[in-house]
Amino acid sequence: MSKYIVFKEIVFKDRELLLAALADIGYARIEEGEALPLYGYRGDRRTETAQIAVRRAHLGFASNDLGFARIDAGYVPIISEYDRRALRGGRLLPELRAAYAERVVERVRNRLRGSARRVTEGSVTKIRVRF
Amino acid sequence: MAREIEFSIDAETGELTTHIRGIAGPACEQAAKLVAEYLGQPTSETKTAEYNLRTQVQSRVRGTHGGGNGGER
Repeated sequence: MSKYIVFKEIVFKDRELLLAALADIGYARIEEGEALPLYGYRGDRRTETAQIAVRRAHLGFASNDLGFARIDAGYVPIISEYDRRALRGGRLLPELRAAYAERVVERVRNRLRGSARRVTEGSVTKIRVRF
Repeated sequence: MAREIEFSIDAETGELTTHIRGIAGPACEQAAKLVAEYLGQPTSETKTAEYNLRTQVQSRVRGTHGGGNGGER
């Protein structure tokens, strides 16, 4: 059994952008509610609860549910040790953060009615929003 | 100089850094506030030389106007 870890240092502030980012990386099927129970890969109910959940059926073989718990600053991921290592080759959180960042840039560009220019240098994508 | 926000997204870590350019001090804070609406408060923040330089220039201009008005009295 893999234990869940709450990543308090990774906060997704905006619910709408978080859902969009999850969909961007392939997790469009989510559940929302108050204190949704999270289940392990054997269907065992865990003690952790979340406001947003991606059920294990939509993740991968032997995966546990993935959750996001709401705190004052936004939503923090709750992910099992196993899934942290296994999902998307261990890159679930970096990929989700990058997808969320892309959504933030697009939202800010829209609000400023600006134009965007994108340049990629190695692993870093620079997006210049002029307004 | 055009008003610009440069976002840098590191695909390795997912980390996002922002650099606000071409905007005077208080207006720069407004742009930062807009970004913070979606990202929360930054883990670190550095005001560049440009931020300080522009604020100083504005202060000097205001000071000159004040002196001019005083001379006309």
